[in-house]
Amino acid sequence: MLTRFGNWMDERMGWRSVWEGIFLRKVPRVNWFYTLGSATLFVAVNQAITGILLMIYYVPTPDHAYDSVQYITTQVAGGWLIRGLHHWGASVMVVLVVLHMLRVIIYGAYKYPREVTWMTGVVLLLVVIGFGFTGYLLPWDQKSYWATTVGTRIAGVVPFLGNWILRIMRGGDDLSAVTLARFFGAHVWVLPATLLFLVGTHLFLVIRNGISEIPWKEGRKQ
Amino acid sequence: MESNQKKSLSRRDFMKLTIGALGGLIGLGYIIPAIEYVVAPALAKSQAQQWIQLGAVSKVELGTPTLFKVNISRQTGWIVNQEELSVYVLTDNGREFIAMSNVCTHLGCRIRWIADQNQYFCPCHNGIYDKQGNVVSGPPPRPLDKYQTKVENDQLFILGG
Repeated sequence: MLTRFGNWMDERMGWRSVWEGIFLRKVPRVNWFYTLGSATLFVAVNQAITGILLMIYYVPTPDHAYDSVQYITTQVAGGWLIRGLHHWGASVMVVLVVLHMLRVIIYGAYKYPREVTWMTGVVLLLVVIGFGFTGYLLPWDQKSYWATTVGTRIAGVVPFLGNWILRIMRGGDDLSAVTLARFFGAHVWVLPATLLFLVGTHLFLVIRNGISEIPWKEGRKQ
Repeated sequence: MESNQKKSLSRRDFMKLTIGALGGLIGLGYIIPAIEYVVAPALAKSQAQQWIQLGAVSKVELGTPTLFKVNISRQTGWIVNQEELSVYVLTDNGREFIAMSNVCTHLGCRIRWIADQNQYFCPCHNGIYDKQGNVVSGPPPRPLDKYQTKVENDQLFILGG
């Protein structure tokens, strides 16, 4: 029954060749450091799922942000878990992305023909940091308020353009409802859309070009 | 033969099974808390009922429904709202009281007492109730909801939330 349904779908979609191309492709014998990218992807999916769930209750305005986050954490069943996964996942995400990048540097995996994979990866690192920066403000407590005050002030020391950048980030001279709303918008729409596009390209290239071998492996073809 | 079949579980099939089982477990680890999280506020019990003070017993007119309005605070999510509760109180002897909600039992519009016709009228779909809150005509499925009442120190209370 299931096989028949699979065949029916395959005849119309050709999904088996896609499945085989993704999951049954040949890879060189490598080590556990090569799983850092997949680990990052897993945490990214975790962030997406828990982030969507948090949006069910979270309200990005100064008079509701803090209370709605407290409501999620203390009143909603499982809310502490969902928020906790998102909170800790954010830190894990940054750590994994950096480790993944170090692996690629040390193994020389950024070289021909994988330069574009590397470039999308570099932009993805910036996107992940952007997620961390914008997400940090959303609970709207003392820590997030002052961290964003300092963070935007740091962006403000850029020569010549600094004050402009600071005002654009804050949506005015001071941190306000405008800042919270635009950080929220960036966090839940702008950055996720960018991430999805870049991760799509990144993964397509990983599969298309295959992964690199361990460069110092014995018996490697020169 | 049987032991042969057991051994025939290949390395690849074993990995498939393990990955499938682990993936399923992780999936459940998300889905179960997620469902709990989404439906939780719907399952929360409504707030505890409490005695709400309407006002002095002497304010209730004999034989005519008298409207009382009281402010109550109600918590929804993380927001505490002030709401106005309107209650019609009827008494024939000044000792026994009928306190009725002004919410039409049809679709929740607010009804009002029309004194010269001696009936309650709901403007939404022409629901009509008599003085005691029983349906006279129109779509309402049941009489007006009644509150439990009590009198203490000449003050009238209803049980609500």
